[in-house]
Amino acid sequence: MNDLRVVGQSVVRIDGLEKVTGAAKYVDDLEFGPGLLYACIVESPVAHALIKKIDTRAAEALPGVVKVVTGADFPYKFGLYMKDRYIFANERVRFVGEQVAAVIAWDAKTAARAAALVNVTYEELPAIFNPCAALEKDAPLIHPDLGKYNYVPWFFPKANTNIAHWRKTRKGDIEKGFREADLVLEDTYTVPRYAHCAIETHAIVGLYDMSGRLTLWSASQSPFTQRNVIAESLAPLGITHKDVRVVTPYIGGGFGGKAGVSMEIMGAALATVVKGHPVKMMWSRAQEFYNTYQRQGVVAKIKMGVKKNGTITALEHTLYWDAGAYVEYGANVVNAAGLSATNPYKIDNIAIDSVCIYTNLPPGGPYRGFGYSEFSFGIESHITRAATALKMDPVAFRKRNAIKEGDLLPYGAPMNANGLAEAIDKVAAEIKWGVPEPARDPTKKIGKSLVLFWKAPAMPPNAASSAFLKFNEDASLNILISGMEIGQGLLTVMAQIASEILTVPVSKIRVETPDTDRNPYEWQTVGSHVTWGCGNAVKRAALDAREQIFALVQRVYCLEKDALYLEDEQVKCRTKADFVLPLRQFVIAGIQAEDHTYKGGPIMGRGVFMPEFASAIGDPETGQGGHPNVHYTTGAAGVILEVDTQTGKMKIRKAVLAVDAGKAINPDLVRGQIIGGLMQGFATVLYEDMRFSAKGKLLNPNFSDYKIPTALDTPDEVVPIIVETPQPDGPFGARGIAEHTMIPCAALIANALEDACGARITAMPVTAEKVALRLNQCSANA
Amino acid sequence: MPITHPFEYYKPARLVDALALLHTHKGGASVLAGGTDLIVWLKEGVAAPRALVDIKGIKELEVLELKDGMLRIGARATFTVLIESKIVRGKFPVLWEAARTVASVGVRNRATLAGNICSAIPCLDSAPALLVYEAVVVLQGPAGTRRIPITEWFVGLKKTARQPDEMVTSIELPLPKKNGGCYVKLGRYAGEDLAQVGLAILAFADNTWRIAHCAVAPTPQRMAGVETILAGKPLAAALISKACARAAKDISPIADVRASKEYRQHMAGIMLTRGLKAAAARLAGTGPAYGTSLL
Repeated sequence: MNDLRVVGQSVVRIDGLEKVTGAAKYVDDLEFGPGLLYACIVESPVAHALIKKIDTRAAEALPGVVKVVTGADFPYKFGLYMKDRYIFANERVRFVGEQVAAVIAWDAKTAARAAALVNVTYEELPAIFNPCAALEKDAPLIHPDLGKYNYVPWFFPKANTNIAHWRKTRKGDIEKGFREADLVLEDTYTVPRYAHCAIETHAIVGLYDMSGRLTLWSASQSPFTQRNVIAESLAPLGITHKDVRVVTPYIGGGFGGKAGVSMEIMGAALATVVKGHPVKMMWSRAQEFYNTYQRQGVVAKIKMGVKKNGTITALEHTLYWDAGAYVEYGANVVNAAGLSATNPYKIDNIAIDSVCIYTNLPPGGPYRGFGYSEFSFGIESHITRAATALKMDPVAFRKRNAIKEGDLLPYGAPMNANGLAEAIDKVAAEIKWGVPEPARDPTKKIGKSLVLFWKAPAMPPNAASSAFLKFNEDASLNILISGMEIGQGLLTVMAQIASEILTVPVSKIRVETPDTDRNPYEWQTVGSHVTWGCGNAVKRAALDAREQIFALVQRVYCLEKDALYLEDEQVKCRTKADFVLPLRQFVIAGIQAEDHTYKGGPIMGRGVFMPEFASAIGDPETGQGGHPNVHYTTGAAGVILEVDTQTGKMKIRKAVLAVDAGKAINPDLVRGQIIGGLMQGFATVLYEDMRFSAKGKLLNPNFSDYKIPTALDTPDEVVPIIVETPQPDGPFGARGIAEHTMIPCAALIANALEDACGARITAMPVTAEKVALRLNQCSANA
Repeated sequence: MPITHPFEYYKPARLVDALALLHTHKGGASVLAGGTDLIVWLKEGVAAPRALVDIKGIKELEVLELKDGMLRIGARATFTVLIESKIVRGKFPVLWEAARTVASVGVRNRATLAGNICSAIPCLDSAPALLVYEAVVVLQGPAGTRRIPITEWFVGLKKTARQPDEMVTSIELPLPKKNGGCYVKLGRYAGEDLAQVGLAILAFADNTWRIAHCAVAPTPQRMAGVETILAGKPLAAALISKACARAAKDISPIADVRASKEYRQHMAGIMLTRGLKAAAARLAGTGPAYGTSLL
């Protein structure tokens, strides 16, 4: 492992030229010919209501309209972890913007005009927009049939309530922990909803051809999961898995928003009513905000016990999640948070309750960080406050409690090898922790902060990856995977892994985005797990191919297999120095034996990876006993923040993040993730702010009023740091790092703000307005 | 997102033809210049004109010239044209500063100053600059030419003094005597944003001032009360406090998704303080370069 040739090099991404020249194709770029139809949906204007009547006559009468469908046409449920949704609302709508019907027409304009002519009569019901209100005794039920829903075995819904799932994690003796504490600190932290804001909006084209094949061209992170969820949902129509084909060209960003299945199921269903015609649906920016997934809001109550020496003795962490109208994916975010809401600290006595609550806001779901960013804001704010209350240095406090390899995780399994301590030291040195810095202006103050983060991939215990690797005549390679390139550089990293083993240069390897007919299975590209999972599959496929090569050479040349090795695309032998056999001479054609016959044939590698040690099943009351997470990636981050005490405006002078990548297969891509993750994280804390009306309507579904930072808003300096403590079961020691890089941001700002000017803000976002009003009030009081 | 509303589209080559079309449609036609507001309104169903009269083919509206102490900005002049103009940058730097804060580069390449003042939204960045330069809006219609001082232009929320069959052909700015000034804009970040508070300030050597706001009242306005307090006195801390107190009374900001009323009030004072100092310093030749953010 010490003399790696390609792994560990910042190879230029293999899809780079294609993307910068505009050659790369996205769903909206694909041509479908003159038979293409367009669909437009009819949206609910109310947050909670019974559908009394849908009159489609006027819409159907409009010239150019092909078909109008309603929920009654598709009485089929769907969902990834809990089947709680219909394709179109049946009987009841549960959020503003929910699809009630759809019009298919010959052009997009006619479809939109006809959709406006569909007349829906609603009987409004009381709506709930606050998760805590949804828990009250007389709260209206958003899903009265919750008790009848199908869901995965690790969920615990409470029938006849609005609680869709309740993850409980208990370890040690929480009462004893608080008794041992010298200080008990309690507070509540609030995190609102957020939108992914991928550049490309959701898009789907469905074609149900005359032979009964359903092909979907989808902007998706999860082609196989889409195939599975859609095949299961449309099974009553006689559609089976082999009939469904999902093709995913490049996507313009996902961040979790294009995981699972959201609007795509409509494209599949609509295709079945216009057999032979492709039908296209593309979300507007507004729909992208209110009818895909949103990052769930949370109200987090934290009670922490600490000893004078800085040891955390107890943590009670209760998270009330605003999961929205449907939780088919979002409930697993709640689950993931409930398993890990200690952050990377060794705490012996813990009680975590992570409660997934239905509300009449848009469905919550996966978003980069998968619950960890949300609980990090509270817990990392609280840690700094506990240290300050003890008059301890917050970094020393963190180092004292930081989790180490072998320490027990909240659910009882041991923590994996990690470089957390190294990350803390490197970040502290980079921001000159403990050295005060003067502000450049009397109205400004400077603060610093350092926080820790961790995250595990949140996935079912049997989430699998697989890969095919095919040699061509010139010994170039095509690698088939279904891990999705979503901007992170997956295709390049997979090529590097194969190149390392087979010595074929990366320039001779083609890796493309998936087509479920052609490419082998991948669960989903989420959870920062594909470098690890899909990378293991590609590595195994390459080893399989190499094994076939060596077996063939042994058979034909009678050389010991163990003495053979690959170098510069040639087979060589340690015991026979003059033996050289270029791969291109035989990887397709086979090797000609002395009797002139040919042996072998095309070399095709096959690799499969599934984490066979994982289990999602633990004690429902304590979470103990299972092994739900495969491993955690850890790290530390720090900022130097300048605050204008008059305007509240904040400027990040320096941002530093160190993450333990295990092995950075492509260091530039890792640094790119660190920089991008920090930007996205700072956006959520400083600018983004989703506003709903009192009736549950999103007021800012646009970039005029939902602010994501521009190049002008980036920190003055960003320092990405890579730590490498190998992950024993990762490809070349690698583990995922992508989501992690945004997780610490909210607490970084909140803690640095307090360090700069004493104001503690416990409700995100921490906007200039909030800071200015707080500081103004403070000075008025003083 | 398609435009579902049907309309007739005209692109006349001569101003007289454009005016005739407006007259024929009796208020049912909209003038299309950059379209950066109008097209969005059409998509969202907010505007539903029977006809669009595209003026991008009319040469005579392209004018941008300083002649006889008067800057004439034609109706087709985009914000990018203003920003790139040496005359605007050199002689009307507050308009230049304001133009640079309008939307984004792409929008500024299309959007016109005339279109901007016709949309008359309260947070109009160009309005405070036009108010302190005492601009005059030149209109043409069936009755011939009308000249309306900018102070009388904004008559209400999204309402102007323009009649439906009239068209803005140019905006005129008299060349002011030696001054220092600034446009200070509150946005939620450093990127493009709609102003939550906007203040334009001009300081003259005799200690007289012109000050105007946007985004803190239904229409952009001159702040005559503040100007009176400051007039003729040297700028000192106590005087600035008095000016800020008066400004707080003269504005009536709303709360919306962009900012609370309290923050707008608070920031108006901070911005006036910083803006007065910067304008005075620029007059004295010691201030920060035009274009430097004061926030």
